[in-house]
Amino acid sequence: MKLASLKSRWFLFSILCVLCWGAWAMLAKLGSREIPAEASQFFFAWGAVPVALVLLAARRWKLEKDFKGIGYSVANGILAGVGGWALFAAYRTGGSTSIITVVTGMYPLITVMLAVGILRERLTRLHLLGLAFAAAAFVIFSY
Amino acid sequence: MHLPPWFWFAAVVLITWGVVGLLQKLSTNCISAESALIWLVVGFLILAPVFYPGKALFSYSARSLVFILASAAFNATGAWALLAAMKSGGKASLVVPLTALYPLVVVLVAPLILRESISLLQGAGVGCALVAVALLST
Repeated sequence: MKLASLKSRWFLFSILCVLCWGAWAMLAKLGSREIPAEASQFFFAWGAVPVALVLLAARRWKLEKDFKGIGYSVANGILAGVGGWALFAAYRTGGSTSIITVVTGMYPLITVMLAVGILRERLTRLHLLGLAFAAAAFVIFSY
Repeated sequence: MHLPPWFWFAAVVLITWGVVGLLQKLSTNCISAESALIWLVVGFLILAPVFYPGKALFSYSARSLVFILASAAFNATGAWALLAAMKSGGKASLVVPLTALYPLVVVLVAPLILRESISLLQGAGVGCALVAVALLST
């Protein structure tokens, strides 16, 4: 990666994302020690509201009226919520935070397979290599 | 083969978030990144009554509540940062693999904060998984 890339806005935003999601996973684990998975996901939904309100204010309280896009996004939120509940439940089993976070972080595996099946995208050699590494990780974690 | 107790929950996360990855792409084809995130939160709120804890709502410690609420705020801010990175000219083929490495932060920090340790074999599994995420996200 070139030095210019390291100074660019997209790189700094990406690093901010990595740090925020790292903090999210750590705090989710800490909170789920006491609070059950269902209640954790209930509170989690409300915790995201202030960020949504800030973005809404930044857009001067106006949103696009594309029902297809809205439908996809709402479905996105519902599925992400179910996944969030499952993540809290996984943390509450007492398993290693590092391992659970890494395993669940392999979700692009499913996205890639769906993109091939539904969007007719093609797998590159790197994707195939990635699938092989993912399979190796699953086998290792199952022992 | 012995599957750990968390395995099936992790499988639910993988499947649901895997579909989410596809829906993110479809939604941002139609609306802006900010709108997509706002409607995503609406989806969270639609699902919230299903997880309503009832009378237990006020029984948890303030400390745990702060952890969960802050985790949600960090999650949403991270999602916005990802979309902002793409909007700032970052190529998806660079931004996605970079941001998918967030478990690395947990792997580095968890032993210090949570006092958790992993075996050498599990460490190899973590390495394989991180390489897989980076390759699959390209």
